[in-house]
Amino acid sequence: MTDVAAESSKSAQPSESAPRIVAMRDVALAGGHTIVISLATILALLTLWAGATSLHLVSPLFLPTPYEVVTQFVAVYQDGYANATLAEHLGASLFRMAVAAALALGLAIPIGLAMGLNRWAKGIFDPPIEFYWPLPPLAYLPLMIIWLGIGETSKIALLALAMFAPICLSAQAGVRGIPLERVNAALSLGATRWQLFRHIVLPSALPEILTGFRIALGVGWGTLVAAELIASTRGIGYMIMSASNFLATDVVFVGIAVIAAWAFVFSYALRWLERVLVPWKGKG
Amino acid sequence: MLNIHNASVYFAGRGGSPVKALDRVNLDIPAGGIVVALGASGCGKSTLLNAIAGFLPLSEGAITLNGRPVAGPGADRGVVFQKDTLLPWRSVIDNVALGLDFAGLPRASAREKARALLKLEGLEDFARAAPYELSGGMRQRVNIARALATDPAILLMDEPFGALDSLTREQMQELLISVWAKTHKTIFLITHSLDEALSLGTHIVVMSPRPGRIVARYDVDFVKRFARDGDWRPIKTDLEFVRLREEIRGLIHQSDAVDAPHERLAAHD
Repeated sequence: MTDVAAESSKSAQPSESAPRIVAMRDVALAGGHTIVISLATILALLTLWAGATSLHLVSPLFLPTPYEVVTQFVAVYQDGYANATLAEHLGASLFRMAVAAALALGLAIPIGLAMGLNRWAKGIFDPPIEFYWPLPPLAYLPLMIIWLGIGETSKIALLALAMFAPICLSAQAGVRGIPLERVNAALSLGATRWQLFRHIVLPSALPEILTGFRIALGVGWGTLVAAELIASTRGIGYMIMSASNFLATDVVFVGIAVIAAWAFVFSYALRWLERVLVPWKGKG
Repeated sequence: MLNIHNASVYFAGRGGSPVKALDRVNLDIPAGGIVVALGASGCGKSTLLNAIAGFLPLSEGAITLNGRPVAGPGADRGVVFQKDTLLPWRSVIDNVALGLDFAGLPRASAREKARALLKLEGLEDFARAAPYELSGGMRQRVNIARALATDPAILLMDEPFGALDSLTREQMQELLISVWAKTHKTIFLITHSLDEALSLGTHIVVMSPRPGRIVARYDVDFVKRFARDGDWRPIKTDLEFVRLREEIRGLIHQSDAVDAPHERLAAHD
């Protein structure tokens, strides 16, 4: 006994300085800082871009210099492009995204939850949703225009349809994933049907719904450019398309950068929302 | 008092043919008693608990609580599951108050009552914590406090300590006994541990599988002795404790052995 104690205290001696912190080895990436690597990658890509263009390896028609893109950004920001300022283009696009997202959320959450809870709702809504959601939005865009005209309505309807399915399917999955014990525990505590829905079903499905909304926003941005292809006079997508008609590649780059920046902002905002609304996610 | 009369349950087996899970069970659970159902897995003890809780309708027979028939789940029967069923979006105290919120009690008095129950479980310092910040044993104590909050006529416990390590398990058993001694709650508890059954039960029903039925009953008083003396050693080394444990062990093994060929025959049906 004493020998063991002496032995262990002896072996503990050399670690007077900072101890070596260890963790289990793992194949999958767990935590760890990637920010420096990512910044270096971005820097390398920018250098490559600047190098290729300044050495005239690529025609400016295909790839403008970073300097041209920045100048064009300032020009578009100050003077506008295609009869509207950058703010007006952006405003039109964001307005469509916001209205479509509100519509999609307002319809998809109740319908998805109902489909997870009720045989009739599932039976009624399953066929139309299963039919349309694998279709690419561009395929039914002509129908939207024929039915709803070339105004805002058809564009917003197209976006809302594209965003509806992922939210609806995730709300449904959220309901199906509720453990039976959790429901039974609430019932044996005297929950009414409404209390069961309000206090158990809705919060249980919320993490899944938010994940579905994140996917829906990605799909939404993808569909936006398609929606603005047709008979638009405003919108970032319209700006890109009209610039490409005049081979103004630098303006195309400006449009892409603006969309990328906003998609990043949305995605970041949603991650923040997830931390606020469902801090328990992944913690049992 | 809870009364179970000729309760049978049939589930749909392979190909839709009925499989008997519970066979004409008769059982009285007296007020203030701890009835422990003991048996190997598949003996129908969870089926019986689900029927009492109202999660599962009976195929035949009836269950009455203080004379009123059990028709579905309700706040007069509190349930503690083996699996943790706390709501992660509610703090510990709000979880305990869940049933009181459902009943429409004013928020302040619901929290006051919840706080008193947390104190009973020794968890008053963790009222504002989130459930996922607690250990398994602590979470199960919160589950018990939550089930007690609505003041049910009977507490149903489905292998409540089965997921805990054996040291925590013993602490939880002692805690349950102290809660029982203070509240005189009627308890129906399921376990597959012989030691747990003998330590916690005032009455033990031994069940055997396929079809689930009660094969023996025992009235024991070890739990009362522990509640009085607070010492397990003289109890668990008591010859009567050891003798009963081995007798029941034999009973369970015997019913399993007799059952094996029966099961094979049933599979050919």
